[in-house]
Amino acid sequence: MKNRLLSGLEPYLFVAPLTLFVVLFVFIPILGTVWSSFYSDVTFLERRFSFLQNYGALFSDPGFWKSLRFTLLFISLAVPLELIIGTAFAVVLDLEIPLRGLLRACVLIPWAIPSAISARIWELIYNYSFGLANFLLAKTGLASAPVNWLGTDFGAFAAVTAADVWKTAPFVAIIVLAGLQAVPRDLKLQAKIDRANFAQVFFKVTLPLLKPVLVVALLFRTIDSLRIFDVIYVLTHGGPGGATASVSLYAYKYFLGGDFGYGSAASVALFLVSFALSCLYVKYSGFSEAAS
Amino acid sequence: MKSLLKLAVLLSLLISACSKKPAELVFAVGGAPNELDFWETIAADFREETGISVRILRQPTDSDQRRQGILIPLKAEKKDPDVFLMDIAWIPQFAASGWLQDLDAAGGAPVDTAPFWKNIVDRSDRYGGNLVALPVYVDAGLLYYRKDLLKKYGYAKPPATWKELLEISARVQAAVRKDNPEFYAFAWQGAQYEGLVCDFLEFSGAKGGLRTENGRLLAATPENKKALAFMRDLISRHKISPPNTYTEMKEEEVRLFFQKGNALFERNWPYAWGLHQAEGSPVKDKTGICPLPGFAGPDSVSTLGGWHIGLSKYSDKPADAARFIEYVLSKKVQKELSLKLGWNPARRDVYGDPEVLKVHPHFTQLRKIFDNAVPRPGLPYYTQVSEALQRHLNAAVSGNEEPAEALEAAQKEIDAVAARYGGGK
Repeated sequence: MKNRLLSGLEPYLFVAPLTLFVVLFVFIPILGTVWSSFYSDVTFLERRFSFLQNYGALFSDPGFWKSLRFTLLFISLAVPLELIIGTAFAVVLDLEIPLRGLLRACVLIPWAIPSAISARIWELIYNYSFGLANFLLAKTGLASAPVNWLGTDFGAFAAVTAADVWKTAPFVAIIVLAGLQAVPRDLKLQAKIDRANFAQVFFKVTLPLLKPVLVVALLFRTIDSLRIFDVIYVLTHGGPGGATASVSLYAYKYFLGGDFGYGSAASVALFLVSFALSCLYVKYSGFSEAAS
Repeated sequence: MKSLLKLAVLLSLLISACSKKPAELVFAVGGAPNELDFWETIAADFREETGISVRILRQPTDSDQRRQGILIPLKAEKKDPDVFLMDIAWIPQFAASGWLQDLDAAGGAPVDTAPFWKNIVDRSDRYGGNLVALPVYVDAGLLYYRKDLLKKYGYAKPPATWKELLEISARVQAAVRKDNPEFYAFAWQGAQYEGLVCDFLEFSGAKGGLRTENGRLLAATPENKKALAFMRDLISRHKISPPNTYTEMKEEEVRLFFQKGNALFERNWPYAWGLHQAEGSPVKDKTGICPLPGFAGPDSVSTLGGWHIGLSKYSDKPADAARFIEYVLSKKVQKELSLKLGWNPARRDVYGDPEVLKVHPHFTQLRKIFDNAVPRPGLPYYTQVSEALQRHLNAAVSGNEEPAEALEAAQKEIDAVAARYGGGK
């Protein structure tokens, strides 16, 4: 009797620590943010309940739409690049090549460097007067005058994307590498016996089996990129002229100005976008079936 | 189970032991390591004199992060930090939020403000009839110039108008470029940050700037449009300011550019003087300072900057805190501030001190510039106004928006900000 009761509870016991963690550190803060977004909570004004007023102001602010557009453009370029480059790395690192262990460790280095520091490194590459990129251009004679990499909308966008892809493609590589190791070797062997070439094995056998892992990587990277802050804060601070201001940076500037309600509303809007994207991914990838 | 209980008891003991610290004042201040070390010695001296211990809460150099580090505990009504340094531009927000104690009341007796610049204290440190802050050191924009280059090319004195600056720049730049291809005549702050607004207010002159008319803050005035077009033209038309002005040029980038010998003129705060004059600096003894030029002679403007000291409303030791503030503003400490850190103290009497003048002969000129320095608008929502301005000014300077359109767009956003937050003032 006692045993049966315990075994009935067992699954819940196992899930309990994580549930507690998620409730404490995810649900409560999200609800708190939603709650404070319903207030006109400006440090220098009387705090009062204003319900959707912050959202009204948010949606009529061109600055918000500009930052949302930048953020979406950024993820639609950066995330696919990260997936492609990361998968390519994973495939190479999965091959029986000499020094494989060392190479795997090397690929991880960009991921292990804190974002603020890697952004600073990239800044030293892009810097107009003493950056590495302009130094190489001058040395090789490819350009007569130094290029102002972060000076145009496109240049700053590309620079931020490159810095982020460099940093996070290894993350994708590690996830995909784990997935690759779960692909049964005999399946590949069978395909080879059937005279499939390398590309055919990859696209017809490996990739379909990798799909659940790729969806996980896609989901992680999308959500993570949506809230991009550190790279931009260090590299461009949202410039030139607000061209690279992400929604997180936008919200941060309002928190700094003392408007906690409005900053919360911007954060909630960002949360809703990432939640909607996550739902779409899970629905259309067949991820839930694959997991069960 | 028993051991678990023991552990819990031990842990709770440990935690309570940690939280029971002796009563001490907490002073939040940021800056370079040598500046923070200076504050540590001031705190030690103060303790020796009064027996009150002060803990220095070390903050970063970046001013946004310093502000964040003070704003969050105040918003959470924490009793620490008791005392902190604020950038002059934050005071209206902090004061309107009710976070600053009236210094006249906190110390038991009214503060004697006579030693300080009256224009600074009256326009920046008083809010709603209360004295909410006091200046610790003052800043204003200046023009640095290369004495040796001006002399070499036959100019007796630095330019008084922007037109003169253009003429001198064009000639000197063309000549110096032959030996130094990286040379640009004029370096100033154009990156998207608060410094750009400060520079813009100076370029826009005495008739421009952010004036209030019938309660409306005016940004898109003809004078301002002209000034913004001039700022853009310095880079793209006259080509006397480097192309990375609008991406990278903040105070330190400008300072280093000039110090490497790559510029003839530099707009910067007074702190650059000490570094230009330091041992090993290529521009040592070749640098002069003067007020910034204007468009029509004597309409030059310097933006007022600097850091002010405030006392938290949530402080549990206001009397001790007031004593510490008084100590920081004493002539002794203010003199040390200028001798050891090269800062510009807020007390006027330090500027006449022979010992200080021997080390800082430029203080006589600075004093005159501070007399006429102009503060930024004293609005609690200045951060939001500045954010909109920074974005559009930077877009115009980088050539992505037409100056007139950029200011009209900024004006619209400023009006929206004022409508949103203006009700509370």
